[in-house]
Amino acid sequence: MRLARDTLHALAAEYVVGTLRGRARRRLEAMARADRDVAAIVERWEAELTPLAERVSPVEPPARVWGAIEARIAAPRSAAGSSADAFWRTFGMLAAGLASVLVVAFLWLSPQREAEPVFVAVLTASDAVPRMVVSMHAGNEMRIRVVKPWQGTEGKSLELWALAKNGAPRSLGLVGNEHDTLLRVSASDARLLAANALAVSLEPRGGSPSGQPTGPVLCSGSIAATRKT
Amino acid sequence: MPSLDAEQSRLADLLARSALGDRAAFGQVYAATRSKLFAVSLRIVRERPLAEEVLQDSFVSIWNHAADYAQAKSAPSTWMTAIVRNRSLDVLRRPREEADIDESLTANLVDETASPPRSLEERDTAHSLRECLGELDAPARQSIALAFYHGLSHSELAGHLQRPLGTVKTHIRRGLLRLRECLERGAATAAVRS
Repeated sequence: MRLARDTLHALAAEYVVGTLRGRARRRLEAMARADRDVAAIVERWEAELTPLAERVSPVEPPARVWGAIEARIAAPRSAAGSSADAFWRTFGMLAAGLASVLVVAFLWLSPQREAEPVFVAVLTASDAVPRMVVSMHAGNEMRIRVVKPWQGTEGKSLELWALAKNGAPRSLGLVGNEHDTLLRVSASDARLLAANALAVSLEPRGGSPSGQPTGPVLCSGSIAATRKT
Repeated sequence: MPSLDAEQSRLADLLARSALGDRAAFGQVYAATRSKLFAVSLRIVRERPLAEEVLQDSFVSIWNHAADYAQAKSAPSTWMTAIVRNRSLDVLRRPREEADIDESLTANLVDETASPPRSLEERDTAHSLRECLGELDAPARQSIALAFYHGLSHSELAGHLQRPLGTVKTHIRRGLLRLRECLERGAATAAVRS
């Protein structure tokens, strides 16, 4: 589903000028992550207009800002462990990164309302690169699209988890690494109603033996409703 | 004083080293850009503590994504300015008091005196952008400038300019459409890609 090119240009221009705000802004960011052509249009407007912003008189920030930056970049850029602790540590880190980055519906203004998903989640890795897009459709169908597969997962399985604010992650099933997956699950399933984010972990072949994630989190993202249900 | 071209390629080099984990190189990126970027954010968010937060978050993001710069087609300072502008706009939620609007900047989006163009190629681009901005009618140019430099939303613009919201939206939309048409006309000469 693609927006007309003129509409994309109009949205991208208002994005760069700054009048595109809130959810509309998030949506365009998610679209740009999922679609190279959209990203190119945004980049083009940025290349045209952003240099104008540099024509302001400099203002010196206080020294404490650099101190805070240094403290925050002292940690390694990414971490992967194999315990449940590592799962939550990694997820927490991702969630913090996500706040500035992303996620929401990338389908909007759809002329075909019935084709619109109930919710969307763009799952990104710790480097903020989108790896999977999960969309929940009417008719108990969850689609997991692979944006960028992982290397070196032979002999292992990828497992999708529903993450709730409170409580342990709950498995939604195994998903493919090289190919898209359709899961039969209802949007009103208890696991999804309680969830505010989704994550994929690397597990032994056949899935986690314990019913809880045991391997590193490969990617995660918040759930974003695309319409009122 | 090094030329601006040399400054940009030095920044690109420092970013590449930052991507490999070189904190000293990253410190030099910060030293070279902090005061411009702080000013960019301050104009939009208007409160120093908030602008400090934006600068901090932006540089953590620049550190984490320094490797992505290699794929960016823009100058390093443009890439970093876009990150700071986006972060500034993200933290703007509430409507703000009318204050501190720099009329000299907004009156003329095409101010040439503030900063010289960086290179011959950018001078051409800047020239065509300048011409195109010059083609816009005054209300559109003013609305776009206020939004761009000061982060005013559609409704804040309507309040500031005392015009109906719909009118302001139309001015901006039409202005940007004209800008695009004009830039694309110039694309034949100025290597502007669509």
